Amino acid sequence: MALDFSQELAALKADVDALSKAELDTPLASLAQWDSLTVLLTLSHFEHVHQLSLTGDQVRSCRTLRELLSHLPSSS
Amino acid sequence: MHSSLSHFRIAGIAVTTGSITRDFIAEGKAQGIGQETLDRLSRTIGFKIRKTAEPKITALDLCEKAAQRLLKATGIEVSSIDAIIFVTQTPDHSQPNNASLLHGRLGLNKGAMAFDLALGCSGWVYGLHQAALLCTHAGAGRVLLCAGDTLSRLTHPQDRSIDPIFGDAGSATLVERSGSHQVMHFVFGTDGKGGAAVKVPAGGARQPISPETRREIKLPDGNIHHAENLQMDGAEVFNFSLREVPSAIQAVMISANLTPADCDALILHQANKFMVETLAAKCGFKVSQVPADAFSKFGNQSSASIPAVICDALADKLREKSLKTVGCGFGVGLSWAAFAGEIGPFEALPIVSISEK
Repeated sequence: MALDFSQELAALKADVDALSKAELDTPLASLAQWDSLTVLLTLSHFEHVHQLSLTGDQVRSCRTLRELLSHLPSSS
Repeated sequence: MHSSLSHFRIAGIAVTTGSITRDFIAEGKAQGIGQETLDRLSRTIGFKIRKTAEPKITALDLCEKAAQRLLKATGIEVSSIDAIIFVTQTPDHSQPNNASLLHGRLGLNKGAMAFDLALGCSGWVYGLHQAALLCTHAGAGRVLLCAGDTLSRLTHPQDRSIDPIFGDAGSATLVERSGSHQVMHFVFGTDGKGGAAVKVPAGGARQPISPETRREIKLPDGNIHHAENLQMDGAEVFNFSLREVPSAIQAVMISANLTPADCDALILHQANKFMVETLAAKCGFKVSQVPADAFSKFGNQSSASIPAVICDALADKLREKSLKTVGCGFGVGLSWAAFAGEIGPFEALPIVSISEK
């Protein structure tokens, strides 16, 4: 079953601790734990939940959660 | 490529590690990294302890010790070994190869074949396949497969993205011809276009070492390395592994007519605990079927990690009976190699360390 946007956001925050307190437009670079591990966990989330394979560069180049979620087909 | 071979068996395995115990949390604290960050990395990725080799110990030394222990434990005469295969990316010299050097150290017959395979984390499976081929199709009675690396000394100490990962180890696996009709199935794959994800740029013919190749480069994330260091794009390696390993495991299980429920163990290269657990879940295996502790005890041991899992987690069972196993090695190349079939019973010796003295 496809998730709506708020469910997708909640699922991402639940899977990736470092993102749990971020708002949609919080600069990811301002998070203390926006590091290579968080990138890895984010890749894992997108692959596991959405069967979507992003590159490390695609995740690293996102400035906010909103930009991260824009990679989902349902968001385009 | 798919391959299926019978009439060979694994007759024993031994693994030797370096003697230096490296504690991830203690080293991280000494580098000024916060406790919370260290705990998070340890909990998620599995960083705890790794065993590295002293400066004068090489993969050749580690494998020699493993081979000596294995020969002694199995009571097999050196003169009965027809071939020696050495899987390594950290040989003693560019020439001669490690297999020839170990041939001399162990005193094998002059009629024995000796060659290296330049592979990393997929290498033990490649070596097992080559050893099996020699037994089943080339008349070899026994083949000594050695696989090991000292990758810890290739990383830059200020590259935190890769330096805490690797342990140093050498393994020896005795493969011999048998009358058994049990079939071992193999699936191999390569993605050469993705090879830049794991590399040591300098030190070969393309970019010989020079003062320039030792020039340190500061990366955007603050890590430092130079061209003679092992460099890795962790995100790309993670993606590659998730993309290729589950399908290779599925393919080899279809060849072997196995389902996850049929298997006693899924034996994965211990890239790190997170990777092993993620792949196991994606392949439909239960946690109890998949040994995942070796990374936290020894570090990522490159081509020695699958034999280390066998010796560390499956030795007691394998001493008594055969096990239905599926396994996969994956990494530098990019390269992957999966196997499925019954192994054992045989002696998988306790893992020991060696030092210079």
